[in-house]
Order: sequence, then structure tokens, then C-alpha cells
Amino acid sequence: MTDLVDKSKPARFVPGQPDMWAFVLFETLVFTAYFGFYLFYRARSPELFLHSQAQLDLRIGVFNTLVLLLSSWSVARCVQSSRAGAYRAALRDVFITAAFAAVFLLLKVFEWARLVRMGNGLDSNDFFTYYFFLTGIHFVHLLIGFVVLGVVVYQLRSPARREQELQENIETCATYWHTVDFLWVLIFALLYVVR
Amino acid sequence: MSAVAAQAVSAAAPPSGPLHHRIAWHLRHDPKRELWLAWGALVVFYNIFFPVFFIVAQVQPPPQPTWDLATQVHWFHERHLGIPVGFGVIFAISGMIATNNALIAYSMRRMSVSRAFGYSYLLIYSFSAVPGMLLLNIALVVGTLRPERDPEAIGWLYDFAFLSFDGTMGVFLIGSLIWMLAILLDKNRVFPKWFGYLNLCNALTEVVVAPCWIFRRGVLAWNGQIAWWLDMVVFGIYQVTFIVMLFRMIQREDFADGPLPDRVRQKAVGQ
Repeated sequence: MTDLVDKSKPARFVPGQPDMWAFVLFETLVFTAYFGFYLFYRARSPELFLHSQAQLDLRIGVFNTLVLLLSSWSVARCVQSSRAGAYRAALRDVFITAAFAAVFLLLKVFEWARLVRMGNGLDSNDFFTYYFFLTGIHFVHLLIGFVVLGVVVYQLRSPARREQELQENIETCATYWHTVDFLWVLIFALLYVVR
Repeated sequence: MSAVAAQAVSAAAPPSGPLHHRIAWHLRHDPKRELWLAWGALVVFYNIFFPVFFIVAQVQPPPQPTWDLATQVHWFHERHLGIPVGFGVIFAISGMIATNNALIAYSMRRMSVSRAFGYSYLLIYSFSAVPGMLLLNIALVVGTLRPERDPEAIGWLYDFAFLSFDGTMGVFLIGSLIWMLAILLDKNRVFPKWFGYLNLCNALTEVVVAPCWIFRRGVLAWNGQIAWWLDMVVFGIYQVTFIVMLFRMIQREDFADGPLPDRVRQKAVGQ
């Protein structure tokens, strides 16, 4: 009876390659260091940071966060569809994810251009150095995300796909995507919200 | 070639007995002796490289980019002995770094990927030693050679040295990405996939060194907490990891073309 219960228990499950979680952990540590430096400099000149933060448009930040959360939702749908063998639906979800990411990137470029027109460049002051640095490095992560989505499309379209390997690769790619999303939520909170 | 070589490796087991007998056997008969020699050379190189830069020459961690000319001249004067002696040693052994690049390129040739990966990596890293190490050394030695030189010229050498050393990280970045791609595509299991992702982490921290061309102060300057300190911590972790990974690759090497055997299984076969 005990054996039966043990067998019916689902095996311990880590989505995708466990190796990708090493990347998640390491990137989280690196970004924790970035955030630590930001908070340190912010504590040294709170007035400057508050004044500079006020020049950011919170609406764009909120909208971009929602767009990226939606992209995470669509990539999760892609994983679900692929698990169910609905590859056509999974492919559609990847393209929806890419579309959300493109909207995010376009808005980010628009926001950068707006700030630069207002006279706030990369080296204007410590806050904007951090603002452009953190949003810029996140931008690079998102660009890599497009390559990752390309891998998902390739996997889904490959006629010689093997079910188990395909699923693992898609889940690995989705893990990367969620990491980029998770990092943005922290960046958004620090740069736009925390006063 | 591969099957015969693999048989030769499995047949060539070191004899038991006194240590010097075993060492002599390895030197004369071990089919992996060239690989071990290359690995040993890279360990020796890094064990000299870091103490020279940090302790003998004292040019790392990098000094302030904002210093005025008088302070820069004083900085050179304080190191008038350490820089020529330390970098004299570096010039003598700098060729040893080739073994590091060669072993990494070898690891990519052992993978199931195109040889273009290994060759690209080898070319990129061979060229990057010039701006990433030798130009810094030459500029700083020239700066200490004649202390009576015009302070403007000393200041020029100071900027040139540190911008060349820190500002050219992009070259290493592409190398890390090539190695990452090879590891992720490889089907011979030469390295675990997580090491491929660690290459990506290293590449992403090297991106943030690039702004040191713009900043003279703050976290992104050439001595900044992010551009130098954090990057150096990540690079240190990455470097120790890849030296261990290369060690394990040599242990597992069977000179065949297929997947590298696991270390445990290889031991069992040897027994």
C-alpha cells in the first residue's frame, strides 16, 4: 500500500533544464549587487534621487510592467499548449510573447528619447546613470530573450522533434523569459515606485 | 583513429608504486601528458599574473580616473620599481596564456560542433591579449621609464593604459558567447549546460564595463564598483570554474569522437 502511495506521488519536478536555474540564481545575485549599489548611492543623496525620480513617467512604467507580465502569461500558455501537444497554439503564443516584448522595447526607447530631450542623459547625475544602466542592461537581457523565443519557434517547427527534449527546451526558454520579467518588476519597483 | 586511441587510453593505466615512479610513468607514457602540461602552464600563468598585477606592480585595483596630473605623476613615481620588475616577468611569461586559449579551443574541437567555434575563439582571445594586457603593460612601463617626462605625456599614458585594459572587454564578451553557444549545442557532454549559462552571465557583466569610455567617476568608471569590482568578482568565479572544468575534461578525455565518458564510469572500466 505504501509502495502504491509512493508510486502515485508525482516525481520531484523542476521545469526545464535544472542548469538554467543556476543562471537564474547567478543573475539574481548579480542584480542584487546592482540594487545594493543603487540603494547605497540613493541613501547618500536622497534629495537628488527623489527629484530625478519625479521626472520619470510612472504611467509608462506601469504600462510597461503590465505588458511584460502579459508576455510572461503568454509564454506560460505556450508551455501549457506544448505539454498538451497543441503545437500550433504554442507557436501562436510565442508570437504573442514576442509582440508584447516588442511593445515593451519600443516604449522603452520612446521613454529614453523623452528623458534625453528633457536633458537627462546617462551622465547627468547618479540617479540617471543608474536609470539608464539598469534599464539598459535589462534591455540587453530582453534582446537575448528574442533569440530564446527564436529557439522555441525552431523547436516547435522542427519536424524531427522528440517530445521529451522539446518540452524540456521550451520550459528552459520559458524560465529565462520569466527571469527577465521578474528582474524588470524589481527594477520598476526600485526606479519608479520606491520613494 | 578514435577507437584505437580510446583503447590505448583505457589500456594505459599508471603503475602502482612510489610517487616518483608514477610521475616518471606519466611523463613518459601518459597519453594525456600534453593536455596536463597545457593545463599546468595556465595554472602557473594565473598564479604569477594576479600577484604581479596586484602586489608587485600594484596597478590593480585601478587608480582613480579623476586624479590630476600631479597625482598621476606621483602614482607612477611610487611604482618606479614595481612596474618594470613585475611587467618584465609578465613579458617573459605572457606567451603561456596561449595554453589557456589552446585548451579552451581544444574543448570546443572535442564537442560535436563546427570547428569554426574553436578557431574563432582562439583568434579572438589571441588578439585580445594585445589591448587587454600588453598595451597596459607597455604604457605603464614607458610612464615609469623617464620620471622627468612632461606630466601631460604621463597623463596620456595613464589614461591610455587603463582605458585599453578595461575598455576592451567587448572582445572577451564575444569569446564568452562563442564558448557558451558551443557548450549549449554540444551533444558530446564535454561540459555541463550550467557552465554554458555561466558564460552568458560572465558576458553580461562584461557589457557593463563598456561605459568606462564615458565616465570618469561613479560606479561605471574604470575603477567603479560595477564596472570593475563586481565584474572582477564575477570574472574570478568564472575563471576558477573554467579552470576546474578544463581539469575535469582532461580527466574524462578518451580521445574518441563520441560523448565524453563520465569520470566514474571511466574508473570502473579501468578496474
